[in-house]
Amino acid sequence: MTHIIHLHTFNELATLERLLRVTRHRGFQVNSMNVTTSQNQQELEITLSVDSQRPVQLLFNQLGKIHNVHSVQVFEQHPTLIPIKGHQSNMR
Amino acid sequence: MNGAQLLIKLLQQQGIKQLFGYPGGAIMPVYDALLDSGIEHLMCRHEQGAGFAALGYARSKQSVGVCLATSGPGATNLITALADAQFDSVPMIAICGQVPMSSIGTDAFQEIDVLGLSLSVTKHSFLVTDANDLNRIVPEAFELAASGKPGPVLIDIPKDVQCQNVSYQPYLKSAPVVKPIEHQSIKQIIELVEQASRPLFYLGGGIAIAQATNFLRELMDATLIPCVSTLKALGIVPCDHSLNLGMLGMHGNPAANNAVQSCDLLIAVGARFDDRVTGKLDSFAPHAKVIHFDIDEAEIGKRRAVDVAILGDLSIHLKQLTTLLISKQIKLDLIEWHSQVKLLKEHHSFIKQTQNNLADIQQNIPSREQKQDIFAPDLLRQLSSKLSSTLDKKHIIATDVGQHQMWVAQHMQFSEPFQLLTSGGLGTMGFGLPAAIGAQLAQPDRAVVLVTGDGSIMMNIQELATIKRAKLPLKILLFDNQRLGMVRQWQQLFFEERYSQVQLEDNPDFVALAAAFGIKGERIVDQEQVPDALERLLNSTDAYLLHVIIDQGENVWPLVPPNQSIDQMMESLS
Repeated sequence: MTHIIHLHTFNELATLERLLRVTRHRGFQVNSMNVTTSQNQQELEITLSVDSQRPVQLLFNQLGKIHNVHSVQVFEQHPTLIPIKGHQSNMR
Repeated sequence: MNGAQLLIKLLQQQGIKQLFGYPGGAIMPVYDALLDSGIEHLMCRHEQGAGFAALGYARSKQSVGVCLATSGPGATNLITALADAQFDSVPMIAICGQVPMSSIGTDAFQEIDVLGLSLSVTKHSFLVTDANDLNRIVPEAFELAASGKPGPVLIDIPKDVQCQNVSYQPYLKSAPVVKPIEHQSIKQIIELVEQASRPLFYLGGGIAIAQATNFLRELMDATLIPCVSTLKALGIVPCDHSLNLGMLGMHGNPAANNAVQSCDLLIAVGARFDDRVTGKLDSFAPHAKVIHFDIDEAEIGKRRAVDVAILGDLSIHLKQLTTLLISKQIKLDLIEWHSQVKLLKEHHSFIKQTQNNLADIQQNIPSREQKQDIFAPDLLRQLSSKLSSTLDKKHIIATDVGQHQMWVAQHMQFSEPFQLLTSGGLGTMGFGLPAAIGAQLAQPDRAVVLVTGDGSIMMNIQELATIKRAKLPLKILLFDNQRLGMVRQWQQLFFEERYSQVQLEDNPDFVALAAAFGIKGERIVDQEQVPDALERLLNSTDAYLLHVIIDQGENVWPLVPPNQSIDQMMESLS
């Protein structure tokens, strides 16, 4: 099943590596990825399209634990994206 | 002030008094700054030893452990210890030297991408590219390591950053967010508890980590709900408590496993439904509704769907729940369940496993004179009894990984959290010796006994030199069956007795080896030697190694075979 994941992260060293490592390790395949840097270069907006037979909750929870990640949202693949989960980190 | 001196100042601000490590080229400025700091440093004989010593120190002191290593091989040698800390939620800081910034990415001497290597074995990791950032990164790393679900954090510092001129800047610590249990969840918990006729607590290591042991005990007293424990939770409820059914899981007590399979409400507290606990997952606790208390949202529903999830600090939530249950004067009718629990405890004793061990050995070597053999479970019960009667109950038992680890969990008595220091999640052979060193440094007035095996101890045997260096009175009990016993047991049971690479007949003379490191010791081979030898071990004011020869055919019983439900336990070979 395909899911779209929007992440808002701090722009720090190895942020993308962390996200991709967790995504692979938890059993999700990345189909596409889009990254934009905020104007002040401090933050990243990332959109991942992932495939897996595993429940997306597993990946959602693990991505939310990454220190650099500020927020995670998961959408079901649909002509109009439907948000199904949202997470806001309270780490900082 | 340079970056290295600032790092030391920031460690002092965190209250760090003890470091473990091994110097090398890329971390020399830090070691230079350390000389004038007053912080103690124990040099181990391998960075993995330093990592495990820091882990043992952290666990036993209930604080953050810190280890140092140089770049390249120094850093890679730390990786296993970091993975162990990650699995078992131990707060640790690993500080690695790195080649200068201009050399990163050039395949320089002793250069490795430590940040990349650390991603899967740490809670977080930092590469410091400007020494001024240390003012933020060090306190942030400590906060991360110790908060929420604790874990290891790595700080990689290039050598030129260590030498960079810098000034101290104070860091404003963020206040922790405290959330009580929401009203709706409380209502759901009370409903489930009141509806249940066979409720059961499933206790995990997270309780002790959250310093919630006393609240859990109060909650048990208030509800009289029985409990089972994971390996990491042994001691949270004293083993002689009438409602404690003991350890559950693959080598758990059949009483505990049967109780889980019978219960109609399982209250998991700081536990994660690990595969060694659940056996065949879809038949685990088949009749039970589940309430799950945990600090980590990712553990909720990961392996078992739950009916109610309570996320957050256990010390707050358990206290809140106990207060509420007492104030509401909720009385549970558990008379029948208590009778069943009592029967389970009476019918399933680990003592009879010793008889099964004996039967195994007789089957293997029928002509052998049996009455003289030393049986590991018997010896451990004697050790436990002596520790409880001759010393205060605050002793610490460290283990390595393998059969001896399970015998310790089954046959020794634990009455306090953190009394058992063991590698649970990662299951690392070689953990025990350096971790015990860290524990002894953290608790110099407590007896620390390492129980290990002939396979495990060889994995970090060089740390015998560290015991001597630190003049630690560490006691080592080494079971020697000249085998990788757990692997041999599985080959016996599940690979048609095709024994592959498990023979260790070429072990060194361990007593002579200990003597070469300046550590006294003796070897015993006969059951009659055990009581006096244990006396000498425990009464020694210096480090002491007791080398115990056991039969290669001893097995760990009972055992849940792979992919079986946890009440389908093998209890002997026949």
